[in-house]
Amino acid sequence: MSTLPSAVATSTEAYLEAAGPRLAEQCTACGACFDACPMVDYIDLRKADAREVTADMRSLARGTPGGHAAVSWVGACAKSGRCRSACPEQAAGLDAMLLIRIARQHALNVTGQLPAKRDAAAFPRVKTFARLQLTDEELAKWL
Amino acid sequence: MAMTDDRITFWFGCNMLRHAEMIRLSILLLEKVGYDVSAAGGPAYCCGTAHDHQPHAASNMAERTVSRFNDAASAEGRSTVVTWCPSCHMHMSDIMAPGNPTSFDIAHITELLAARADRLTPLLTHKVERRVLLHRHLGFTTHVSVNDAVRGVLAAIPGVEVIDGPAVPGHMCSALEATPGATAKVAKDTWDMAVDSGCDTLATIFHSCHRILSPTDGREGVTIRNWVHLVAEAMGLPASDAYRDWRKGGAPDIAAIERSGAKLYAQLVEPELRKAAVLK
Repeated sequence: MSTLPSAVATSTEAYLEAAGPRLAEQCTACGACFDACPMVDYIDLRKADAREVTADMRSLARGTPGGHAAVSWVGACAKSGRCRSACPEQAAGLDAMLLIRIARQHALNVTGQLPAKRDAAAFPRVKTFARLQLTDEELAKWL
Repeated sequence: MAMTDDRITFWFGCNMLRHAEMIRLSILLLEKVGYDVSAAGGPAYCCGTAHDHQPHAASNMAERTVSRFNDAASAEGRSTVVTWCPSCHMHMSDIMAPGNPTSFDIAHITELLAARADRLTPLLTHKVERRVLLHRHLGFTTHVSVNDAVRGVLAAIPGVEVIDGPAVPGHMCSALEATPGATAKVAKDTWDMAVDSGCDTLATIFHSCHRILSPTDGREGVTIRNWVHLVAEAMGLPASDAYRDWRKGGAPDIAAIERSGAKLYAQLVEPELRKAAVLK
């Protein structure tokens, strides 16, 4: 069981807006997170320059465009979490997984370098699955 | 109402709604080891993690869900939100809580069951003769030692032999779907190890892995089960798996289809059920 962190912002949107530049400032672009990431092999970037890719990832986290390799990398993030412990700045409070996630969000919403994959049917689909299987009482109590 | 550690909200997420039996079994297991459970999930309790492309909407979803759990804490004394989905759990810990005041703690279901192994183990009275490969992901272990916890629960079942599967990338299989070929490779690596190590069962931990591996059930003598199914078997409880059966060519009964809306079923559910298996 874990105690959740205290709120430091008035919404998740505000938190992420503030966290991106803050975490980017802490990042030294050493490349350790990239080297530790298992997804790098799946997108054929193992031979890329880790420092260059992480510097570009840091740019994305600040809301400025990053290079193709960095965009591909943050787009492939599957939250394996290896980056967190690999980051030499972790003890200083740098959450590399969160930084990479914010970079991905910026590539989607700010720089427009990643296409948004919208599945408008996702919620209607799970609701239909629910009605297929749940009793009226379960539907009323759980959803 | 005063908060107690035994009163919990079981937050099963959105996509778990494909697997009603797994929700029911999870609630039952928590109740059997002494928790008072209120379950919540579906879109009205969305964490927002899948909506990175809509940050404002995702933020509103997070606020609404935290608010509901805060209400459950103050009105019903439910001090802990117990997760199933690793995405929901990580999103709550890393993003929702820093942006919204919370009045509850968080735990994963496997942590609670492992912590009450002294109550769970005596209930595992039925021998389950299976050699089980545990499908493991690297992710989420940043937050919860989920692979160890599930291995511990399964190892307590009389007759079960647990073999660790390869620790594959991501926190669950759905996280790999954005990368072409990744899900298939992970599924194949896991499947091959199950076959090569003589396992008759491949046990999933999370719902999205179960969804992806289900159509392969029965090939080469390997059965797909979620860990809760195996625990249920050991308790002598029914452990059916409708989603797996539907993915293998079965279908819900007509009354259920009509109840869900025949048109919606045809448009939204049937295409998923008839999709080709990831493992060729």
